[in-house]
Amino acid sequence: MSLKDTLYLKIERNTEVHTTEVRLGDVAKLECSNKDVVNRLKAMKILTLSDAKRYSRNAVSVLKVIEQIHSIYPQLEINNVGETDFVVAYEKEPHQHKVMDFLKTLLVCLTTFFGAAFSIMSFNNDVQLTKLFSQIYMLMTGETSNGFTILELSYSIGLTVGVVIFFNHFGGRKLSVDPTPIEVEMRLYEDDVNTTVIEDSSRKGKNVDVN
Amino acid sequence: MLIRQILMAIIGLSSGFTVAGGIFAFIVGLGIIPRFAGRTHTAHRILWYEDCVLAGGALGNLMYIYQLPVHLGKIGLGFYGLFGGMFVGAWAMALAEIVNTIPIFERRIKLREGLTAMIISMAIGRSLGAILYFFQGW
Repeated sequence: MSLKDTLYLKIERNTEVHTTEVRLGDVAKLECSNKDVVNRLKAMKILTLSDAKRYSRNAVSVLKVIEQIHSIYPQLEINNVGETDFVVAYEKEPHQHKVMDFLKTLLVCLTTFFGAAFSIMSFNNDVQLTKLFSQIYMLMTGETSNGFTILELSYSIGLTVGVVIFFNHFGGRKLSVDPTPIEVEMRLYEDDVNTTVIEDSSRKGKNVDVN
Repeated sequence: MLIRQILMAIIGLSSGFTVAGGIFAFIVGLGIIPRFAGRTHTAHRILWYEDCVLAGGALGNLMYIYQLPVHLGKIGLGFYGLFGGMFVGAWAMALAEIVNTIPIFERRIKLREGLTAMIISMAIGRSLGAILYFFQGW
């Protein structure tokens, strides 16, 4: 190995592993003009997790990884192009049972379905929509509304179309290439969780870092 | 006459659009659905959940406006109450969280331990409130 070698190290913010022995290749992308270095480092063990719990989230500092690389290649120059702190999420079983998975999905589907139905009904009730519509109808036509006017019909159509446009898809078909609002929200939530795990364990001194 | 009908159709359509945008942005913005998906490890099914919100919103609105008879009996009612209640419970907590009520309180009164107890008391308080509300017929 020549003295001029530079290793480019890129670690994702969150990696899920299913073994207690975490190797650098599991969490990081490596690039170096010397391929032997890459192959040797990919197999390097960076972390041993306890398998006491089914799930665990472990915050690791990239400095610890660099320290370990330097214990093998003291002369190697390392360029970190990824995160400075990252989370290694450990899950004992890679995939949960199909049946459990389905049941959980069903539970969330039922909750979101009835929840959304309840929300819109309570909104309509709250603003006394039927009364408001008959008042508008009275104002516009001078006749008494029977509750089945163009207003109710067009409102229902408008609401449905509005939700479809808002969520950007209908069934499996997306209306545009943008991710849907909940997909965006899901990523934001994951980011928040990762940040919390990293900062929480660093504050408690539980993260894996150099001294 | 026709012009009035058209005008009302425009009013209805735009109200529908606006309410849909508002209500569903609110549901999504509070981030309860990502939480459900995160808790149950089913993030890959997120499009299903969106479809359910969509269907629930559209059908719930139709039921309300046209007083559609849905003969699902007491079991159906139980489902509606249970899952609707779960959703609203999560929603209410998310609402309290988004305005940072809990962290602010925690800092003000320098609460270090007992966050779990606080959350459990909050849940019990909510249930008692709901029971009181229904039994008193308010």
